[in-house]
Amino acid sequence: MNSLKQKWLICRTVADVTYKEWSAYRSHSMVSIIVGPVYFMVQYFIWTAVYGDHSSLGGIELPQMIRYFGATALIGYLTMDFADWNLSMLVRTGKFLTFHLRPIHHRSFALFQKIGHRSLGFLFEFLPCLLIFIFIFGVDMRPASFPWTILSVLLAFLMNFYVNYTIGLTSFWLVQSGGIRNAFMLVSGIFSGALIPLDFFPHWLQMIQFFLPFQYLAYLPAMVFTGHYSLGGLELSSEQAVGIQAVAMLVTLGFNEFVRRLAMKQFTAVGA
Amino acid sequence: MYSALQSAAAYRMNFIVSSLITLVGNILFPLVTLLIYRAGTSFPGWGLYEVLLIQSVFTMSSGLSSLIFGGVLWTTMSHVREGSFEVILLKPLNPLFFIIATTFSIDSVGLFLGGVSLFIFAAMHVGAIPVLFWLQFAGMFIAGTAVLAGLSLMMAAISFKWVGNSRISELADSVLHIGKYPLPIFPKAVQAAATMIIPVGMVGFLPASALLSRVHASDYAAILPCFLFLAAGVWIYWHMIRLYEGVGG
Repeated sequence: MNSLKQKWLICRTVADVTYKEWSAYRSHSMVSIIVGPVYFMVQYFIWTAVYGDHSSLGGIELPQMIRYFGATALIGYLTMDFADWNLSMLVRTGKFLTFHLRPIHHRSFALFQKIGHRSLGFLFEFLPCLLIFIFIFGVDMRPASFPWTILSVLLAFLMNFYVNYTIGLTSFWLVQSGGIRNAFMLVSGIFSGALIPLDFFPHWLQMIQFFLPFQYLAYLPAMVFTGHYSLGGLELSSEQAVGIQAVAMLVTLGFNEFVRRLAMKQFTAVGA
Repeated sequence: MYSALQSAAAYRMNFIVSSLITLVGNILFPLVTLLIYRAGTSFPGWGLYEVLLIQSVFTMSSGLSSLIFGGVLWTTMSHVREGSFEVILLKPLNPLFFIIATTFSIDSVGLFLGGVSLFIFAAMHVGAIPVLFWLQFAGMFIAGTAVLAGLSLMMAAISFKWVGNSRISELADSVLHIGKYPLPIFPKAVQAAATMIIPVGMVGFLPASALLSRVHASDYAAILPCFLFLAAGVWIYWHMIRLYEGVGG
């Protein structure tokens, strides 16, 4: 019990310090207040034109599609992560060594930092954009199910962190993991469903998505938000979809732990 | 440019990987359009290869602009953040010319070549294009590249005051997104803004329309705002240099 209480205190402290640290640069976050709605507006007109006389495309109706893009934008603000870049920088500069001297696991520290950073994102990115989507674009941003959407976004938050942290761990071998990071971001941009719902992909590509991390980062939580998840011909309820997402997150965590142990054996340092 | 080539040769693996990622990225970008048309729908009045032509012209223009002006924002931002911009001001050269000349972004060659490949592929599927249309295209393509150059300079100018904000480029990217699709799908107000105020329509849509013989006489009027936009970018950059307050060198 005491151990849990202590971990909670550490989490709160690290998150709080990170929040304050990034608050000094809150105008960086506020770029999203312009960028997010502009991207959303473009998507709105693209899909309004593309639907034309069609009532439904890929099994999705236009209002649902608009809600989908609103949801992916907002979920992106809650789950955004750069743990890979941070870890890579620590390895490259040798500063990772100092984390061996601290009474906290670096992965936990990075996760708590992310909680603080995204708390700031919640206030300066998520909330303003949510209000813009609702009151300026008139989009219904009420989730089909609050509890399942919140749980799904939470799992996407953790999944994004563990995937990125694993990419960051490759720095223990490559020193500079920027190339892998860019490649992952490129593939993720397409296959996470942020540009186009995965229903539009060929059937075989949709099936593969169940075994890759991408759909769990944006597509699945956005579809849970809309209340209609289907992929590869499978129609799942929110409960089933979130269940699969939880399994995927645990597998990713396990893989991350495996790579982390290998990476620690690889680590050498020459001073703090 | 020579030093950029030498630098790329020194870190050739990084150069190859970066160029490949950019190239693949540009192959994936039109994937959205392909998937939309594969689903049995379309942008009203526009065929698949016509939309791909717009997107390829956009990519080529972005690649060309990125090769020449891509490094201006990051170099300016870095110097302003570190307080070392006066080192550039002390050189017996036009500072803007110096930054452009020393930041030739050879990594963007993948972006440009990706755009060229897609352009050739799309152009081969839209039928024969008369020589006159190619000339119209060339004029509008240069104007579109001027818009991108103007945007780069304006973003770099912002970095003099909005110090160290690595997200400045996202502002330009979001607006440029409009230029990747047929302008008629947007409301009239957005179309007007995208041709006369921030003429992003000239980056992809209008040059491609010129090749497809879809431009109206009034569309040529949009060339002037493009060069005014570039001039505004240069003027704002110079104005911000005058406001620059360094801390040493």
